[in-house]
Amino acid sequence: MQADRRRINVPSGGTAPPIFAAPKDTPIKRPRRTRKPDEHRKLFLQTGVVPSASGSAYYEIPPQSPQEQELLVPSSSSLKITCSVHGPRPLPRNAAFSPNLLLTTHVKFAPFATRNRRGYVRDASERDLGMHLETALRGVIIGERWPKSGCEVVITVLEGEEDGWWGDGGGQEGGRGGGWGMMGVLAGCITVASAALVDAGIDCVDMVSGGVAALVQDRQDGKKAGREAQMVLDPSPSEHEEIRAACVVGYLQSRDEVTELWMKGDAGTQVEALVDEAVKAASLSRTVLAEAVREAMELKMGKGLERANGEQKEDKGKKKDVVMTG
Amino acid sequence: MAPYTNIPLSPAELSYLHTSLSQQPPLRPDGRSPTQFRPLIAETDILPSANGSARICFADGTEAIVGVKAEVEKSRLAHTVPSNGEAAGQGVLGLGKGSARDVGDEMDVEGDESGGKGRDAWLEVAIEIPGMRDDDALPVFLSAMLTEALLADGGLKDRLWINSRFHWRLYIDILLHSQALSYPLPLLSLTTHLALLSTRLPALVSEKDEDPLFNDDWEASTYLYPPTTTTQHQKPPVTLLVMSVGATILFDPSKQELAVADSVLAISAAQSSTGELRMVALRTIDPPSRLTAAGVPNVLNTTTGATGAQTLSAADVLAMREKDQGQSVWRPPRGGVPRALVAKMIKMVVERGGVGEEVMEGLANVET
Repeated sequence: MQADRRRINVPSGGTAPPIFAAPKDTPIKRPRRTRKPDEHRKLFLQTGVVPSASGSAYYEIPPQSPQEQELLVPSSSSLKITCSVHGPRPLPRNAAFSPNLLLTTHVKFAPFATRNRRGYVRDASERDLGMHLETALRGVIIGERWPKSGCEVVITVLEGEEDGWWGDGGGQEGGRGGGWGMMGVLAGCITVASAALVDAGIDCVDMVSGGVAALVQDRQDGKKAGREAQMVLDPSPSEHEEIRAACVVGYLQSRDEVTELWMKGDAGTQVEALVDEAVKAASLSRTVLAEAVREAMELKMGKGLERANGEQKEDKGKKKDVVMTG
Repeated sequence: MAPYTNIPLSPAELSYLHTSLSQQPPLRPDGRSPTQFRPLIAETDILPSANGSARICFADGTEAIVGVKAEVEKSRLAHTVPSNGEAAGQGVLGLGKGSARDVGDEMDVEGDESGGKGRDAWLEVAIEIPGMRDDDALPVFLSAMLTEALLADGGLKDRLWINSRFHWRLYIDILLHSQALSYPLPLLSLTTHLALLSTRLPALVSEKDEDPLFNDDWEASTYLYPPTTTTQHQKPPVTLLVMSVGATILFDPSKQELAVADSVLAISAAQSSTGELRMVALRTIDPPSRLTAAGVPNVLNTTTGATGAQTLSAADVLAMREKDQGQSVWRPPRGGVPRALVAKMIKMVVERGGVGEEVMEGLANVET
């Protein structure tokens, strides 16, 4: 990996996030999942947040319950993603001829997004996420209508989900790892990029929505005996002790097709059930997506109609229709 | 940058390939059956200074060499929080006070009964493809896929544990020795599988938590994947490329077949102790067919004397193309892979007597 040579970097491998000593009588409890296995967390999605971009959207999974413990560190992290779409715009002069729209995706975690600080230069996991997102979006975009053009989707993750509970040693080096937080982030990225694409008015086959599901094994009341693998959708990795397998899906509901499928871990015989759960999660987040997009369109149309009506008063007999793209 | 933009096939050739592959049974350009693999040359233990190595040459001339090296590394203690809220043994910087003399004084990292002692960071996979930087999209994607397949079952990283203070760090270096003519994932994965099968680690002579000491005799070394025991996960995983054209599913696609694929999946399968295969990782790969140019229908083609290009408006042209839906001329595929087809592809790889088993058996018979 290329080191960031333009800045003074932190010592490599020499720092760890602080663990605060709690008062003697405050117990540190691991957060538990209180929702049903097929219930999604509440989402917030809004388009049109970046005025200078062709299209943009902001996606957030806020903390669901008020924090019960009086600790400085929150028990589970939330997810905050912002996406801006620039395009379609012409390719530079020296670029080779491309008969289809050239899609570039750029995913970056802000340095403060996770417990272990990430640098300013994209590392391998962020590039990998970018590749996944590109696979998800390329299936929906009708690229052949835009020759010699490029479209850039830039995603910044302002707060990312951790791989595990920080009390276990967290994700990354100390804990068992597995990169499960990345899969939740990818599901959010797919949804927010889809909203931003609609906001930018790029021709798409359908709206793709992202969903994630996991096969988890939790100890029942501290006993090791009650270990059965349970299928949950929209997992928050800090709520579960062990995630055996997880699956992210980019789903097109009207065509019943999957543009992006990423599955990790040992699911045994329940592979198809895991994919179906993830598709269910994607359908749930699609309702939020559709609602957000509809609200934004109504806002735009309301403004457009005002403008059209205003001009009609001065300009006799000339009707102007507001043309909607996308 | 998009991968594999240089597909030297015209829209007519693409349409012809697509139609012949959509037949039941499909007609592949080289006449193979849908589950037949091309012949390959494989050899192991070719690098004397590596712990394990392998080389595979495919029939189309692509070649890959993999070397596996292992190094002893000091373990970092994980920072766990016990129930009383204080993390003992952390020292000033939180890095632990463990030294060679503190054997057994330290509070142990909470080991799971199932043996989850390994860490993901103990395995490092590096891929080198000629002509690409190591942070380009393709090497990053391939190394991520191979890493997650190797780490998925947990067996490999548990075998790298020596004692609570030391562990083996495994470096897998993959070199694609020729130009990437077709998507190199299955080649690299098969070569890695062979190299790991031949990897040996020196035998441990020291006991418990003291500084590790190994037997100098290389003949006494143990295999990383022991060939005859009945422990779980005795074989490393194998990643196969599966593509679909309409309702047809094809294995080991060549470059031309990939150029007309509707969808491409990379499926990693590992063998459990009972001998049956399980899927451990799955990724969709963006098919290069999405980068191809659409064909021009006769009505719009001025070389055939048609006047459609001048008389029809842009909206009419668009409507005509949409109605055609790629039937008369080639059109890059849209949408994704149908869900039923995904299930079918997975089943074809992991079922008894399926393609995955065939590949594993073929590799097991490679002599060193």
